[in-house]
Amino acid sequence: MATSQKPKSILKKASYPATTTSKEDRDRDLALYHADLIQQRKDIELEILLATETLIDYPLATAPYDASNPAPADAQTFKYLLRPFQPSDYDALILERNINERCGYTLCANAPRKESGGGRWRMVGKYGKGKDFKVVDKKELEKWCSEACAMRALYVRVQLSETAAWERGERGENTVKIDLRDEPKSDGDTVVEGLEKLQLAGDDSVKKQDTAHLALERGDRGPAARIGSVDVKILEKEIQRVPEAPSLEDEDLTERLDTIHLGILEHVGRESRGQKFTSMGSEKKMAIKRHPQRRISDTLVGYDLTLI
Amino acid sequence: MSNEEDREVKQREAGNRETARLWRAWRTVHELVQDRGYILSEAEVKISLEDFIHKFNSGDGNIEKNRMTFTAHPSDEMVARYSNPVTDRDPKPAAPDVGPIKVKFEEGDSIGIKNMRKFAQELTQESFHTGIMITSVNITPAALKIIPAVASETRIETFLEADLLVNITHHELVPKHVLLSKEEKSALLQRYRLKETQLPRIQVGDPVARYLGLRRGQVVKIIRKSETAGRYASYRYTV
Ligand SMILES: [Zn+2]
Repeated sequence: MATSQKPKSILKKASYPATTTSKEDRDRDLALYHADLIQQRKDIELEILLATETLIDYPLATAPYDASNPAPADAQTFKYLLRPFQPSDYDALILERNINERCGYTLCANAPRKESGGGRWRMVGKYGKGKDFKVVDKKELEKWCSEACAMRALYVRVQLSETAAWERGERGENTVKIDLRDEPKSDGDTVVEGLEKLQLAGDDSVKKQDTAHLALERGDRGPAARIGSVDVKILEKEIQRVPEAPSLEDEDLTERLDTIHLGILEHVGRESRGQKFTSMGSEKKMAIKRHPQRRISDTLVGYDLTLI
Repeated sequence: MSNEEDREVKQREAGNRETARLWRAWRTVHELVQDRGYILSEAEVKISLEDFIHKFNSGDGNIEKNRMTFTAHPSDEMVARYSNPVTDRDPKPAAPDVGPIKVKFEEGDSIGIKNMRKFAQELTQESFHTGIMITSVNITPAALKIIPAVASETRIETFLEADLLVNITHHELVPKHVLLSKEEKSALLQRYRLKETQLPRIQVGDPVARYLGLRRGQVVKIIRKSETAGRYASYRYTV
């Protein structure tokens, strides 16, 4: 029988207090939001370009400073300017330095070495023996003044974020913190830096990391989350326990969980970094190693830290 | 001894080849500048290989690229084609976005940020509206990023010498492309009751678009010869 009564909607009536604005207003806000994103990206790209130009001429300090003991000011500027860099930007900097006859490692004032003779490959190591024996492209060798600088440069590269700076959001600024393989040896500045780092491993950073993980899990990346389509705080109690994957078939989600897991490793790593500073001067060395199996897609976790 | 002579001959031949390449690139880029509407004398454009060598050789048989730099000014006709029409809505339109051009053959096996920054500063200081940098090798990606960064001050274009060894617009399969003025463009759109976006497109990176220095939003008329229909025209909107 036909009834004149309307079927009752099973959907909840929409009543969002925040969105009482007209469609035009919302469209305009959205357009502004996207324009803002594009502008942010342009600004950061320009920042990277100008940083690259500056760092071509580094180091500014001369002897007694060198790549194994850089001037604190140079080291600090280097780390600071590098924050928005992705590895590809860093590679571009190395190329530009080489064009200008400088060792690819930014804090080294030497010229890169020139391999004489033809042929594309070179053998590195001890007469084909030993675990450090390698066959290397000549071009790779000509980027640096020495093997040591190649290591120093690589040490920095693995700490850079693979995520473009304009997609990192607020947490990005805190996570890209670069250590040098050879930090400045004059102690004044180093102690200050060491203290900064110790603080980073404190409560505040843990909380921030948790929030970041939650945002990651929910797929809120970059400034979108910040501008407020989502209020992260509301859900804070849900992160008291370890999040469970609804389905492991969801590859994307599994990957994110991996990332979260790695993030915890990274957190542990930070604590050991703190130790590094308390035991400064001892012979402990630290190796930074990319995790081989996982595609690391987030700023939090480009690497694992191990003490050797 | 004969080995050494052999090497000398080879070196000279290589030098000659390099000279001939530069001469051809020189001619093409002069034609390009002239075709865009800048003023150049026929003598400058159609220089013979002998005169070219005479003018630019360094004494040891090589060509000095840094002496090959040249400049030109837009013709009245070019200025008119770039001018903004006076309309009711825009009674005092902005001045045409054209001006003197400087063309430089950049030396070096690798062209990076510093080369590009220097060229940009040179153009700005000497008030060149447009600059063309011609290189024998690819420019680094970072250096190319300088171009948009200085776009508000000067307009930089780049070409490889290899791209200029022949003039592509002289090829029989490439139809004639003519840039429409803004007035001609709006007349065309009115006549066919079209929006510009309804026209077929040409990319700014298209070789002919690069040759003519087309900018986004401009419309070119393409004139083809046909055995059955005589000449016919089509139009492209630059994106
Ligand atoms: Zn070095």
